[in-house]
Amino acid sequence: MGIVTVRPELFFEDVNVGTELPALAKVPTTVQLFRYSAVTWNAHRIHYEREYALSEGHPDVLVQAHLHGAFLLQMIMSWMGPRARIVSFGWSNRGRAVPGDTLTCTGRVTAKHIEGGRRLVDLELAETNQRGEVCAPGKATVTLPSREVSR
Amino acid sequence: MLPTKEVIAQRPPMVSALGEITAVAFQRYAIAVGDLNPIYFDDAAARAAGYPGIVAPPNFLSSVLGWEAGPAENALQEDGTEPKNLVPEIQGLRLMGGGHDLTFGPPVRPGDVITAHRKLVDLYQRESKMGPLTFSISEIVYTNQRGEHVVTCRETVIAAK
Repeated sequence: MGIVTVRPELFFEDVNVGTELPALAKVPTTVQLFRYSAVTWNAHRIHYEREYALSEGHPDVLVQAHLHGAFLLQMIMSWMGPRARIVSFGWSNRGRAVPGDTLTCTGRVTAKHIEGGRRLVDLELAETNQRGEVCAPGKATVTLPSREVSR
Repeated sequence: MLPTKEVIAQRPPMVSALGEITAVAFQRYAIAVGDLNPIYFDDAAARAAGYPGIVAPPNFLSSVLGWEAGPAENALQEDGTEPKNLVPEIQGLRLMGGGHDLTFGPPVRPGDVITAHRKLVDLYQRESKMGPLTFSISEIVYTNQRGEHVVTCRETVIAAK
């Protein structure tokens, strides 16, 4: 898979309430939708048959609900350092998206807390289209390593 | 009339053997998303991150809709969906995914043998611009060969007439 780069570690002490995650912009294509349906064994016609999608009242073939979530998760996993772990993640599908839309994932730290020795960071997430409409709000909790423990 | 929560609670869970997880299956998933995180592809990078080797994307199991060879095309509903994962009350309606709430346990690794336990937890209707919408909420617990809960998924499916 080419050259592997190991990301820098991100420590609990490095983030604060209000810290923003680097945004991730995704522009899904019909090829991406086809392959996502294929690997998830999803034969729902609204994702690959435009005429059928129109007949259900959609503007075009639709980005899969799970793919909206996958984009948000990709942003989190790209931001976290190698020793961070995802504890929980959820999203809601609020708006449709079609190939060619620019879907920008953003996230922000809303809380930091320590529970059972785990250093937890809560995140508020949103996937927003080029018109500023939120397609998928979400939330997540990750656990980050500590500078103190690692020294 | 939709069944009440009490009636729903009596329905038995559906237990499915998903089989053995292969690296190529979850790597194709990651590539389809466009997520080339090295922990999914490179054992050395995964070990540097504290894993025993490559791991599946955390949302891999809960994103795959079917794990069997079938169904044959003529067993699909007209819209292409598979009736198996849908409660009878929403089969034949216009369906849209509503989202997931996922809780993660130990990571899923190649060779893991996964079982899914699916249970309907709620079914309710709400009015909308599109007319009445039915919300079907299921909980799917994915366990590995050691009985560990690797993923718990609370899934919302939205159905319109």
